[in-house]
Amino acid sequence: MEIFPGINIDISLSLIVGIMVKMLMLILLFLSIIMVRQEALMDRVVNLPMGNTLKTLVWVFFVMTLILTTIVVIA
Amino acid sequence: MPEIFDSHKKKDEGGLVEVQKLMTSGRFRNYWGSLVIAPNIKFESQNEGEKIIILGRKHFVTNLGWIALICFAFFVPFFWGEFPLIADVSDNVHFSLTVLLYMTLAFFGMMNFLLWFYNVYIVTDERLIDVDFFGILYKNINVTQIRKVEDVNYSQKGIMSSFFNFGDVVIQTASEQRSDEVFGKHGEASPFTFGAISNPNEVVRIISELMEQEEREEYEGRIR
Repeated sequence: MEIFPGINIDISLSLIVGIMVKMLMLILLFLSIIMVRQEALMDRVVNLPMGNTLKTLVWVFFVMTLILTTIVVIA
Repeated sequence: MPEIFDSHKKKDEGGLVEVQKLMTSGRFRNYWGSLVIAPNIKFESQNEGEKIIILGRKHFVTNLGWIALICFAFFVPFFWGEFPLIADVSDNVHFSLTVLLYMTLAFFGMMNFLLWFYNVYIVTDERLIDVDFFGILYKNINVTQIRKVEDVNYSQKGIMSSFFNFGDVVIQTASEQRSDEVFGKHGEASPFTFGAISNPNEVVRIISELMEQEEREEYEGRIR
């Protein structure tokens, strides 16, 4: 399909779904950084002994999301 | 000369019969549990010398809904081929979709767990604190003095609450202040509703004892 003169793009189902998945992964990455911040705030409100473990868990999740988002966006 | 009055004299949780009884029983010491007696924690706005007597949160059984949902959704990618549109996309997009689903499930699970874990009810020897987090962007913290508490009651509704022994502890205060948003949105009878708390009878007993102690101190003129 010729969108602009001289530029042909083959619009397929895979392309549309792929773009949507990439956008959703970016939204998830954004939400995970909000969760990291929110966990820190929650830990400040109630300082429980296992707060640091949860903080580490949430950071690990963020880093994993970052790596996977990069892979999915580049792929 | 015998001591008649000491304004600096403070009560401690060791003086509460119910708390001492529960502490010696060795139950309610697990921080992951839904009821912890005399925990060694700190919270925002804690006064100097203020001792925490109860740390409560919703019973773990209340999480079964989202855990079941995650368990169900976990197996969805095994049946990608059964979905007509998804079956037509390329392997690359298949992989991306699977990654997205599992990451979303992990996010959903962690968020729900954090909300359960940090939505706590704290009873100290001076105050009651109800910390509510709704979603990841909104928090609501209610604090009241024990001497302002007028009435405490609890209710257990349904099979689950009777079976697992959890219920709602409703604390009525003298204050007219109402958190309308909380009241309207989540159907709580009072801003101080300890919802689905484990062993509500013990919680009510401890709060009643604290109220009696507070009244006694007021009578003796030892209000802090």
